[in-house]
Amino acid sequence: MSSALLLVVLVAVAYVAAKLAFQWIGRHLLIVSGAEYLLLGILLGPQVSGLMTPQALRTFIPFMTLALGWMGAMVGMRLYLPGLVRLRGVFYRLAFVQSLATLVVVSGASLLVLQWLFGVTPGYALMPALVLGAIGTSSASDAVQLIVQRLGRRSVVVRQIEVAVGMDSLIAIATLTAVFCLNHVGTPQLARTPTAVEWFVISCAVGVTGGALFHLFLGEERHPDRLFISLAGAIIFVTGAASFLQLSPLLPGLLMGAILANTSRNRQQIEAVLHSVERPLYFVLLLCGGALWSPGGSGAWFIPVLVFLVARMLSKVYVARLAARFNDMTGVLGPNWGRALIGQGGLALAIAFNYLIESNSYFPDIIFTAAVVSVLLTDLASARLMQKVVTTSPYEIRASGEQQKPVIPQAEAAEREPAPVGGDG
Amino acid sequence: MRRVIILILLLGLMQLIALAAPFGGAGRTILVFGFLILAAYSAGELAENFHLPKIVGYLVAGVVFGPHATSVVRPSEALDLQPVGDLAIALIAFIAGAELDLAELRRRGVSLLKVTGTELAVTFVAIFTALVLMRPWIPFLAGYNWIVVSAFAGLFASVAIVHSPAVTIALLTETKAQGPVARTTLGVVLVADVAVVLLFSVALSVARALVPSGAKGVGSLGATAWEIGGAFPVGLLIGLAIVIYLRLTTSDLFLFAILATFFGLEVARLMHTEPLLTLLVAGFIAKNFSRHGSGVLLREAMERSAAPVFVIFFALAGSKIELPDLARLWPLVLPIALVRAGAIRFGTRLGARWARLSAAESRPLWMGLISQAGVAIGLVTVASASYPAAGGEMRTLLLTLIAMNETVGAVLFRRALLKAGEVGGEGAGGMEEAALQAASPRSQAV
Repeated sequence: MSSALLLVVLVAVAYVAAKLAFQWIGRHLLIVSGAEYLLLGILLGPQVSGLMTPQALRTFIPFMTLALGWMGAMVGMRLYLPGLVRLRGVFYRLAFVQSLATLVVVSGASLLVLQWLFGVTPGYALMPALVLGAIGTSSASDAVQLIVQRLGRRSVVVRQIEVAVGMDSLIAIATLTAVFCLNHVGTPQLARTPTAVEWFVISCAVGVTGGALFHLFLGEERHPDRLFISLAGAIIFVTGAASFLQLSPLLPGLLMGAILANTSRNRQQIEAVLHSVERPLYFVLLLCGGALWSPGGSGAWFIPVLVFLVARMLSKVYVARLAARFNDMTGVLGPNWGRALIGQGGLALAIAFNYLIESNSYFPDIIFTAAVVSVLLTDLASARLMQKVVTTSPYEIRASGEQQKPVIPQAEAAEREPAPVGGDG
Repeated sequence: MRRVIILILLLGLMQLIALAAPFGGAGRTILVFGFLILAAYSAGELAENFHLPKIVGYLVAGVVFGPHATSVVRPSEALDLQPVGDLAIALIAFIAGAELDLAELRRRGVSLLKVTGTELAVTFVAIFTALVLMRPWIPFLAGYNWIVVSAFAGLFASVAIVHSPAVTIALLTETKAQGPVARTTLGVVLVADVAVVLLFSVALSVARALVPSGAKGVGSLGATAWEIGGAFPVGLLIGLAIVIYLRLTTSDLFLFAILATFFGLEVARLMHTEPLLTLLVAGFIAKNFSRHGSGVLLREAMERSAAPVFVIFFALAGSKIELPDLARLWPLVLPIALVRAGAIRFGTRLGARWARLSAAESRPLWMGLISQAGVAIGLVTVASASYPAAGGEMRTLLLTLIAMNETVGAVLFRRALLKAGEVGGEGAGGMEEAALQAASPRSQAV
């Protein structure tokens, strides 16, 4: 038996073992599935078995880029305006403050540690620090769904977490797009190189034009198979357009998804089709992310990763607590509602991957490692943290025909629409 | 019409984006990939309006936007998208294997062997004879002695008799056809797929013995025998591994389907076995030996993931059709194609009579066996690599023949299914069910 074949068999056995082990652990210890794919990717990649060579991985990059556009569209689909306007402003205020503060804290801490560790100028360290900030800001809604399903009830804090996850996604994607625009290499064919603001506008224009055109293209189509093919074509087209312009596909995908969500009559069918591929795509990202992982040339990679993890965790927990206190929502949400936002998922990995394949990026390996480690660690803990936050919250959302528990005015007025705002899955 | 206008707008948008793009990197491949899916999908819908199979629309879109017409898809981009094509072939093979039912195979295996054997033998002899008779006009045969003519005509005929599992599976998926014609055609195509690889290997070995090629890196007869024979144990092992996995869990089958296909393909490559045959055996084992219908669930997951893959696979196949060669060689290719079609028709009739198939089942059968695609192209590549000088001419002629059969074959097979009343599951089974319902007391009361 050749060594390559032996490796294939080993990896297949490892996959099955990891899959079954995580399935058992997930059932008994409340862990969100996904880490097994990351481990499998690392096993397959050049760092361990070398079964997937860097050259082979490069051929997969276009397909992984597609996952970015798809993820953006998924986030965008959740921005259904009639649902959003029914929620009270306090939900958005809290979500916005914790998102922005996390971005500032994680970016600031990363800026300082990168400067100190590698002796680079603030200008050089700013872009990677902002990307780390964007990764730190993003949070996942996987655990929310798991806990809501398990407990069989929704509470005000669940609604707040869903809004916060959506806001986190928006801010993280906007920050990454800004980094790509600031860092853009320019276009030799044009008489004048567009400015960063103009690139941002171009990025939005790709998404808006794509959304408008594909709204017309999809029409009233409701057949799942046909919808899947045309939707896949549309997302691939928009992703390719952004990627060809060396911009992040996440924002154009998001805008396209938002336009389709708000203008199409077949919104639910489109969402169902997008959702059916969301999890497999997340696993593909984890798998290829694991294979692409490399600690980089510097031996001190773990210091910025550690700083990132600590800064993010502290910011998520304490800024959320402060924001709730200043808005008189501590009684409703509990002091530790920010713990529910610690979990990370596909979006964090997507941002890191997007930056990794960007041609003129600084410290891409460190940033990618930070995202991989964070996803791996938080996958293990996020559901437990979420369960603790949700079970300690006393305010349940009224189900039809049931009496709602007594609530304070803010919470009562806030409960009008059960639709979630967002999340990266 | 609305979609066509949007496609024109998208094409304009692509030109605009190309102006502002910094470099022509991987991004353009993705852009083209998206455009090709949308264009092929729209062309497929248009083809359906003209009562043609969607595959024809996908192929036409590939031709129109391919390197030989409008050049929206460049040759380098077609090459970049090759992994999708590889995945499609593997998925098709796995689905084809999973379509085979063990009980039915036991019941009808001998009949299928009789029909396939007769059809292949008749077609091989007919094409060989036609080539020998036409040798003054065929570039790689003109002016050579009888030994060379026999060797090359045999090699050519062994590729020209190949059918297309890809077109058959894609059309059966598209039309949801069920019934004796659909099942017999699929059975014959799959059995023939195994036989033609074997026959091609023999023809190649004979040709090499008669006309030394001088090409380097060409495998021995033993290696070829292993490529075919080895596919059975390797496919069996892969299939058993999938069965064990399905006994343990059935979660995330959509992703598992793609991963299993990818790994099956890699294992076949590493073991130097014929990938199509290996995955076909794996699919057969997975479907027929898994418990509680989990094999059927896996096949359904594969069929779901295959729908967009088919669109891009056939569009890419269309983009590879070389229009200048088609225009130059059609006077040569047309008689060969006609001889082939006639021989398939005669061969299936003869075989069906031997196997005692009903007339309703055997009459339209030949129409499902005209198409050629991936397997034939693979064999053409091997043949032309074996003879670098004469192989080039043979390759061009065969590819033109395949392009013609690929398009016409899909149209004919759809017509055969429609004729047999098997489209959309309205076949014999469906009719029997309808008859039973009509005869039941409840329906009579209604």
